[in-house]
Amino acid sequence: MKFSKLLLLLSTGVSKIHASGSLDVDVDAYSYVTSLMAEDATTADVASDAICTTAIDEYTKSDSIEDDSTIEQIMTREGLKMNFDADDRGQIITLDSVRYPYDENMVVRPLPSNHLLTSFVFDMTSESFGPRRNPQESDQYTHYTVFPKAMKPLLERTSTRQLQLRFTRGFWDAESWGPLPYDGVKSGGSGVELWATIEATSKDEAYHKWKSLANYLSGHFCASINFIDSAKTSFPVYSFKGDTGDSAIPLFDRENKDSNLYILHAALANEPICTENLTPLIKLLPTRGKSGISTYLDGHKVFDSVWHSLSIDIDTKCDLKSELCHYEMEAMVDMVIHVPNVLERFENPIPKPVGGDKLRCDLTKPYDAYECFPLPEDTAISFSLSQLFNKTITGCNKFIERPSTICVETTTEWDISLKIVDDDSLMGDESNCFELEDTKRYDVILDSHNSKSVVSTGDVPVFVSRALTGYGQDHGGLRTVLNNPNDTPVTITFFESFPWFMRIFLSSLTVESSNGDITVNKLMESMYYSPAVDRKRPTHLEFTMEIPAHTTFSFSYQFDKTLLQFAEYPPDANHGFEIESAVVTVLSPKPYQLRTSTLLLLLSTPDFSMPYNVIIISSTILGLIFGVVFNLLVKRVVTLEEADKVLVERSIKYRLLMLKQRVLSKLGLSH
Amino acid sequence: MTSLITLRKSVALSFVALYLLIGVPLWYKLTTIYRASLPIEYIQDLYNNKFKEIHLTIPVFVKSDTYRFPDIHDAVQIQVNHLLRSKRQYVDWSLEIFPYNETIIDQATARGDDYHIVDLVLDEFVGYNLPYDSKTTIVYFDDTSVASNDLPFFIAQTLVEHTFELEWNHWSLKPDQNEPEQLANSDIAVNYNPNIHLSMSLLNGDGSPVAWEIDNTLKNIFTPFREMISPLVNFTVDAQIAYYNDLNLYQLNNVSNPTWHDLSHVIDLSELSTTNYFVEQNAINLVIVFPGKETNLDGLQFVNTNEENQWGSFIVPQWGVLIVNKSPLEDNALVTENYLNPIMLKFVKDLLRLLGVLDTKDKELSSPYIVIDSVKRIRIIDNLNKAVETLWSLIKLTHQFQQMAIPQEVLEDITNALDMRLELIDLLNNPHVGSNMDWNKALLMSNEIVKSCEKAFFHGEMLQQNFFPQEHKLAVYLPLLGPLSVVIFSGVKALFNEKKSESEEDITSKDEKKGLEEDIAEELKETKELGAIDDKDSISTPASTD
Repeated sequence: MKFSKLLLLLSTGVSKIHASGSLDVDVDAYSYVTSLMAEDATTADVASDAICTTAIDEYTKSDSIEDDSTIEQIMTREGLKMNFDADDRGQIITLDSVRYPYDENMVVRPLPSNHLLTSFVFDMTSESFGPRRNPQESDQYTHYTVFPKAMKPLLERTSTRQLQLRFTRGFWDAESWGPLPYDGVKSGGSGVELWATIEATSKDEAYHKWKSLANYLSGHFCASINFIDSAKTSFPVYSFKGDTGDSAIPLFDRENKDSNLYILHAALANEPICTENLTPLIKLLPTRGKSGISTYLDGHKVFDSVWHSLSIDIDTKCDLKSELCHYEMEAMVDMVIHVPNVLERFENPIPKPVGGDKLRCDLTKPYDAYECFPLPEDTAISFSLSQLFNKTITGCNKFIERPSTICVETTTEWDISLKIVDDDSLMGDESNCFELEDTKRYDVILDSHNSKSVVSTGDVPVFVSRALTGYGQDHGGLRTVLNNPNDTPVTITFFESFPWFMRIFLSSLTVESSNGDITVNKLMESMYYSPAVDRKRPTHLEFTMEIPAHTTFSFSYQFDKTLLQFAEYPPDANHGFEIESAVVTVLSPKPYQLRTSTLLLLLSTPDFSMPYNVIIISSTILGLIFGVVFNLLVKRVVTLEEADKVLVERSIKYRLLMLKQRVLSKLGLSH
Repeated sequence: MTSLITLRKSVALSFVALYLLIGVPLWYKLTTIYRASLPIEYIQDLYNNKFKEIHLTIPVFVKSDTYRFPDIHDAVQIQVNHLLRSKRQYVDWSLEIFPYNETIIDQATARGDDYHIVDLVLDEFVGYNLPYDSKTTIVYFDDTSVASNDLPFFIAQTLVEHTFELEWNHWSLKPDQNEPEQLANSDIAVNYNPNIHLSMSLLNGDGSPVAWEIDNTLKNIFTPFREMISPLVNFTVDAQIAYYNDLNLYQLNNVSNPTWHDLSHVIDLSELSTTNYFVEQNAINLVIVFPGKETNLDGLQFVNTNEENQWGSFIVPQWGVLIVNKSPLEDNALVTENYLNPIMLKFVKDLLRLLGVLDTKDKELSSPYIVIDSVKRIRIIDNLNKAVETLWSLIKLTHQFQQMAIPQEVLEDITNALDMRLELIDLLNNPHVGSNMDWNKALLMSNEIVKSCEKAFFHGEMLQQNFFPQEHKLAVYLPLLGPLSVVIFSGVKALFNEKKSESEEDITSKDEKKGLEEDIAEELKETKELGAIDDKDSISTPASTD
């Protein structure tokens, strides 16, 4: 009964608990008790006195009662004196170093035509924890140092073992810029994309956990992720297996034989990405954007780019021997900016026409004050990151294991230097990698006379484009073109998910190629197809195929468009329906992932005042019919003569005559 | 002629009858909102006579080792009843005094359970003691008190006024009082919930690396507390270190002589409050904040320190405890267990107030088992009260909004809650049931009842339908109902008017009429000749002219 010492401390405390918010600092029970503890001889008496003061009643004026056994018990309680030794209490010690598993670095890479790719990577690891422990057990405590506190309960509650969340917008020009950063595995399709590996005993349970996960992430990242429902969720078979493979993901509930891992995937095509999604991401970092490279992350700058991608990856790692697990989280922000545009905005926040003297005219062509054929952009370029991000890096993070680094990947035709803003000094390094080791303000200066010279990062294994074909509002077609420009054949899995209102006819699948010798059977190694269920499940298609070297081919299929129910149309129904991008995962020669652009599907949209019009018209017709029937049944049927008579009797002249007759007869003048 | 009119009349009336007897009820039935029939009268009765059927009994065993008192329990019972009757009770409660029965107690001990026991100890004086580690009341007596037959009264007084002090104070009403006072200052305590999350944070004003020995402190001090209070509240606890957050306290250094008003204006708790655990509804925070070195090199001047503690502690009502440290931390500082222990003790004490267990400022928890047991009972009664209040609000709401749907699930939840309530009351009223586990069970049941009632009250469909305006119904049906009603009722009216005019005609004498008709026919003939009426057919029949 460990708590007896606590109770002793509580009951003997002489402090007063002060009113809410009062600025008095109170004397804690602790000091009183510890001083008692120090004096062995007298402690027993005083302590027992303290216990009994509350126990002595007004009707007995007796002395305090000695309860030796209890006091003895308290005094011999092991650890008590050890923990509350009066000699070294209240200390804050300085250790040699305190470091936490957090890592951050930034890579800057110039791209052709004066574009610049900047990538921020933040890695953090959670404290170890025993899975399968109930957090309500009295000795269960969860500790957080650098891993975000918001995530762990979420992962535990939804049994999520792996979580990937992507916010991507813009166009990555693969033909000119080369492969996507991190071989495409860290960027999603345009909009929001979420996939997770969830442990559950059945598919239904997995879906419920997934729904709960989506709702929470929606709230946390201020995005419409809560619109993910069963009609948008698919269970990928070949794609999204991750680079570690299934075996590396631990099952927490091994005893239950039904327990299994489910991969769920959903995407919200063309969802707008903005500052409200970036700010929660920065809040997940231990530095909270106040120091290190995360100071650069400013919504105005990140989203003022040609292409940007925010990604969060969380993975569970377990040590089988110690039965302890930890989470690893990787947050990344990547963006491509067009340097001249951003610099111009830095210099002239309010856009205005370039002055005549600053125009760069093609001198080989006629030019004067009114005519100028512009030259291509200048290849001599010099700028600093502070110009691009509008601020300098503030200091370093002192609690991280390795200092934050900034690396610039360029050719030798670029001059890169690190500027320490505080003492205005410049530093250069051959590797072009700089470590931020001090709490100073830093800046990086990039300078080149030939900005066309950029580092090549290899070939893109495959190019994909996808488009809608056909016209009209009842059916359409979908055509995907794949191109392997390389010398080696490429094996890919092709993942597509369509909403239920797009009814794909797989029978209409045709393959066309430039040389004409590619057929469906030859091309597709395996295929997974799960047809849609109206309002419940999307169409889910996955192919594994091998594309021979130097081949371009296309495959297409037809689909029917369905009419939606009245309430299923979104408020901006005439905008059309966004169709999520297809995911191409390259398996060989090297792992790579890319996505097609999203599609905009136009469905026939009703006139939304229609229901009321229908009600009114049908009611009018019903009213008319009823009126006729009712009158036929109820009105008197007369002969023509009778009708004439009635008509005469009803005429005003007849009534006047009647009146006249009556008056005359009363006066006796009638004949 | 008459038979034709009767037929027409009956046709028209059958239309009206069809309209009124079948059409209107059918339309009403088909367009009306589903409202399950709630046990309104029963709930109203419960609300008006709260705790009418409750007679809470707490069994107490009297044990005497030295002397044998064969009838002491009866004597104490009489005294206890007398004492309890001296004040008006909010909830009818009483103690059931039993002689010490070893088998019952041993059985209870075997399953880890216990009862209230009064231990009579012969001593040289009369007194009592409530030990801190059990549910026993030790009453000391001397021979004089036995001889003068004072002992039963002493025992009764000890039990009612000391052992069951909380019940006695809480449930006894003053003459002008109708409801008992709140258990704790409700402005500080969070709403009672059996599951509460505790969030402990070490905030550092800047980015200098910090470590703390919180795990040891928690395991040594907080775990025993959690075990002790677990029948009442279950906690989930997390501890985090956060950098670059000093709750804006640095702003206070510019203020001379800041008061707690300034503090409450300046502190920004938003970032801590938004990252709460999302399973539990309630969260209590302990925040230990160190100022940043850059902003406050000399520390926060307003924090009064003494040689023992370098921090000040503040309760933020319904939120948690704020510990403000005076000086900033050095780089690589380790906040040791010895620094954290007093903070944790202070927090535990404040936590009792935040949970509503301790109600007065300077009271100490001397006999926690007994107090927690009493708090359990008070919570049970409060929960029952809360459940009935919730149900009554629901009834009032449904009464006020006639257009509000009442789904079947709401009725099921209410029935479930009311059934459980009866079950719980049976348990409370049983004088033989009253061990520790029974109270835990009763508390769990009462929590369930509250949950069920709240589930019924917050059913999503009830409020959703409420905002569907009644005019819409009219707008949709008016194009159909309007023409139908106009046709039917104007037709019937015309029919009855027609009959009336015909009967008027019957009244005028036939002769007169005939004479008149002849006259008119002549006159008409004249006028026709004059060309005033050019329509040939409009003249009366030739028979009448003859």
